[in-house]
Amino acid sequence: MQSYWFGDMEDGCCLPFTGDVNAVVSRIHSLSTQMDTFTPPDWRQAVACGFCSDRADYIARLQAVCIAAAERSVREHYSGKDAELLQMVRTLDEMDTVVNILSERAADWYMVRHPAFSRKYRRTPANILVRTIREKSRGALGRVAGEIEQLTDTRTALAKEVSARANEVLPNTSALIGGLVAARLMANAGGLLPLSRLPASAIQVLGARTALFAHLKTHTPSPKHGIIFQHRRVHNAPRDIRGRVARVLAGKLAIAARLDYFRGVAVPEFLEPAQERIDTAGKSEAK
Amino acid sequence: MIRIGDVLVSQGEGGVYNERMLGGARVWEPYRSKLAALYHVGKGIELGPAQRVLYLGAANGTTVSHVADYTEVVYAVEFAPRPMQDLIEVARRRRNVIPIMADATRPDTYAPLVEAVDLVYQDVAQPDQSSIAIRNSVFLKPGGALILMLKTRSVDVRKDPGEVFDETITALKAAGFTVQESVWLIPYHQDHAAIVCIKPAKPRV
Repeated sequence: MQSYWFGDMEDGCCLPFTGDVNAVVSRIHSLSTQMDTFTPPDWRQAVACGFCSDRADYIARLQAVCIAAAERSVREHYSGKDAELLQMVRTLDEMDTVVNILSERAADWYMVRHPAFSRKYRRTPANILVRTIREKSRGALGRVAGEIEQLTDTRTALAKEVSARANEVLPNTSALIGGLVAARLMANAGGLLPLSRLPASAIQVLGARTALFAHLKTHTPSPKHGIIFQHRRVHNAPRDIRGRVARVLAGKLAIAARLDYFRGVAVPEFLEPAQERIDTAGKSEAK
Repeated sequence: MIRIGDVLVSQGEGGVYNERMLGGARVWEPYRSKLAALYHVGKGIELGPAQRVLYLGAANGTTVSHVADYTEVVYAVEFAPRPMQDLIEVARRRRNVIPIMADATRPDTYAPLVEAVDLVYQDVAQPDQSSIAIRNSVFLKPGGALILMLKTRSVDVRKDPGEVFDETITALKAAGFTVQESVWLIPYHQDHAAIVCIKPAKPRV
């Protein structure tokens, strides 16, 4: 028997499917086709069935069904809790870039107006500098500096929201590495499901794409860490055991991501020993 | 193919992606579309109003809309949700575009929808591009054509593009295809090749 979207064909006889567009959509999602005995559907079969009147009708009805099916699939794809978090993280990272670029530009502009000004030996944090520029500048430059400050505030608020949302969507990963970094890992992998499918070795170098491909192509040393470098245990570790700590952390994160995807709640039985293992990573082995 | 002077165009409702219009026809840019590039650097397959096309890797429907201008119906398969939203919009405005959200590596998931076609056009960023093409050739009529846009960098970034190209041709020939034309899309697209092959009229015994 061959099952098509419009009905079932058996020994030249045809059984048309009855139901509205939504029913047909459910039907095509439920059909399973054996490709070795498959022959493609023919619109004439559908007409002979009494399912449609002619070629134009066949195409029109097929299109209506396919559009409805595609819309349903898109909606399902976005219904996961991670879909919005992904956009939030990417927006956050873009805002960082924008704020940095604009601050640099505003500083350059300010230096043209104040030829005696220099940032050397001052250690002025960027946000203080931007505030000074706003207070001391007239016209567009002052307004630009004001906009940068507002953008920074929005960025800070967004970072808090990302962190809170990550604790909810990625409870185990967030517990190990912090909400913000967990969310970055997820965004870099492309979602919670892809992250949970990654091996630990890939999680270890997520975000170190350039270094990884340089390694694969020209055999430079492999990267030891990507995004997970942002974890204090990794960047505080002495250089010679940093790779080891990163590997242990990545191993635990891979398990945490799977728990997040399949259970969706924090698992203390896993988290406590895992945290301990990460804290002692490198120490006992370095003996 | 319709050309006004040297410019490749297609006849249809414009404004799909702010494309340039020329004498009432839509300009089909070779730098944007790999299929348009093929018609500039090689011969390709002549598109006509009787043709049915299976388009794998439809993306946001830019090239799809031009193919639909020339042909009777286009089955447009795309996996990612974001471009799918654009593709659905294109389908709403064109009666002959059938959008299918599915994975081109799994033809069984959309088999009940797709009739026998005259042309399979494939432009997917996957490592196993030749096997995807071979698996989808069940939809191809005997004597029908396959246009494979080979993204060599998606197959293996470490390998030399020329090597990937040769391997793909060997795989297609082994599956029974006759290779009619194979060209690199330089200067329009880097590291991309177009392979045009024909499915034999009778299956080999």
